[in-house]
Amino acid sequence: MTATVSDAGRALVGLADFTLPAELEADVPPEARGITRDAVRMLVARRHDGAIAHTHFSELPRLLDEGDLVVVNTSGTLAAAVPGTDGAGRRLEVHLSTELPAGLWTVELRLGTDPWFGAGAGDAVALDGGGRVDLLTPYSVGAAGVRLWVATVHTPEPLHSFLAVHGRPIRYGYVRGSWPLSAYQNVYATEPGSAEMPSAGRPFTPEVLTRLVARGVGVAPLVLHTGVASLEASEPPFPERYRVPGATAHRVNDTRRQGGRVVAVGTTVVRALETVVDARGVVHAGAGWTDTVVTPERAVRSVDGLLTGWHEPEASHLAMLEAVAGRVLLERSYAAALSEGYLWHEFGDVHLVLP
Amino acid sequence: MAVALVTGASRGLGRALARGLAEQGWSLVLEARGAEILEDAAGETRAALTGGAQLSVITGDVADAGHRRLLVAAAEALGGLDLVVNNASTLGPTPLPDLVTYPLDGLRRAFEVNVVAPLALVQLAAPLLRRSARPAVLNVTSDAAVEPYPGWGGYGSSKAALDQLSAVLAVEEPTFVVWAVDPGDMRTQMHQDAFPGEDISDRPLPDAVAPGLVRLIESDLPSGRYRAADLAAAPARP
Repeated sequence: MTATVSDAGRALVGLADFTLPAELEADVPPEARGITRDAVRMLVARRHDGAIAHTHFSELPRLLDEGDLVVVNTSGTLAAAVPGTDGAGRRLEVHLSTELPAGLWTVELRLGTDPWFGAGAGDAVALDGGGRVDLLTPYSVGAAGVRLWVATVHTPEPLHSFLAVHGRPIRYGYVRGSWPLSAYQNVYATEPGSAEMPSAGRPFTPEVLTRLVARGVGVAPLVLHTGVASLEASEPPFPERYRVPGATAHRVNDTRRQGGRVVAVGTTVVRALETVVDARGVVHAGAGWTDTVVTPERAVRSVDGLLTGWHEPEASHLAMLEAVAGRVLLERSYAAALSEGYLWHEFGDVHLVLP
Repeated sequence: MAVALVTGASRGLGRALARGLAEQGWSLVLEARGAEILEDAAGETRAALTGGAQLSVITGDVADAGHRRLLVAAAEALGGLDLVVNNASTLGPTPLPDLVTYPLDGLRRAFEVNVVAPLALVQLAAPLLRRSARPAVLNVTSDAAVEPYPGWGGYGSSKAALDQLSAVLAVEEPTFVVWAVDPGDMRTQMHQDAFPGEDISDRPLPDAVAPGLVRLIESDLPSGRYRAADLAAAPARP
């Protein structure tokens, strides 16, 4: 879409085609920029009066009420990138994306900072440290070739121990330097399994969580293990493994029944809750693989608010954000974030959408 | 860098005061209900900012608790809060009804906006004000708080309540300076609403009144109730 004009008469960016200036890409963690995790900036957008306010993430407890519920994804980030060598002696990096049933994985091959499309079914990659990945069959085919493969992953020791030694966090081109796994871990992560950090939760600190609890705001967990991000606009988000505990489902339902707000931390939480919500808006316990894609047409039934990062143009996440925030408010938020110099990506600033 | 929160900053006295504070180097959080006119006022204030001062502009209703929390969170992000100006007010129902027929919902709304909201903001802002070297609260009141003008019973009683809140707050919080300021009649939308169809062009513009308030804010005058007309002679801060 092209630029539009808001209710306030200002020209706005189109969501699908804005250009992200390089200086707005967070290239190092906030800690490396000299601030704490919770000191990143937070733009607050309120749906009911269209207000947009600029503050810091550490103000979150002030903005929520007793009786509200914050739902977090406690999936931990894996050191999912493992270097190896293919049959031709080519040095590749294998990105483990999603664990499938029967011990299979979907994997992506990278050569340097780019996807590597030159492999074929039956090829193997010998992992540094003595592991081995066998490509079985294509999983996702893009314009340039097979991007994701269904593969078996053999490691000489249990996978998580192997990755802890030989893997490193998946890192994209905009990040400067190599940061330890802890930089990609949320403070409340309990169950390793994500290929990429569920990064909306990154600004949480024990102190912020304590202040939320002291205020009477609930915090409830679920798990959704993220795969690698979709690369091309035409690629829908891949199915991901999730688990919504019964206690969390009950608390979501109770919160909304009592008039409180359910605030999802991250698009992964929205995806998981929207997978287990029924037509009446009641959330149920559930576990499995979800292929739910949240769009404005489908609408959001399980959450009232969303804390999320800043997403790239054309990201499928923007469709979900539009479902939560509405088009006009979302466009105004992005216009404000661009003009105020908010930082994008997993080490960047955040966006809180409230009803 | 001092930070002030000014409510009702889109028009009239609030708008003129915001600009005046910007000229004196203050960073500001501005709020009002109408997005478009507030953005217009913000443009004016932005142009008046000096040094590294910053501006945050938030649309909303001071009677909305969530909105008030947003205001204080925005002030925190500008570095704290040194001054709260409770300027946003409602006349209540217009044309101004006599008390025997006064719509009670209108009275409740007047007290919500003119009394409850200013106190709620001070309560929310108190932790930030306590960190300030010179915490101040300026509540905009009215001569209708003390004079029995017919038709002004709703608005006037709410401003009388605000006067008393100001006075008690000043003795309870000795580290705060709490001013209640009666700006006098001004050529504003609110004043026109109170006198529909009348010619109010003899009243001074808020631009003429705001400098006196800025002088008060920059002065060492103690807590108390002041009339803008008397502030013209206020001594400058040493």
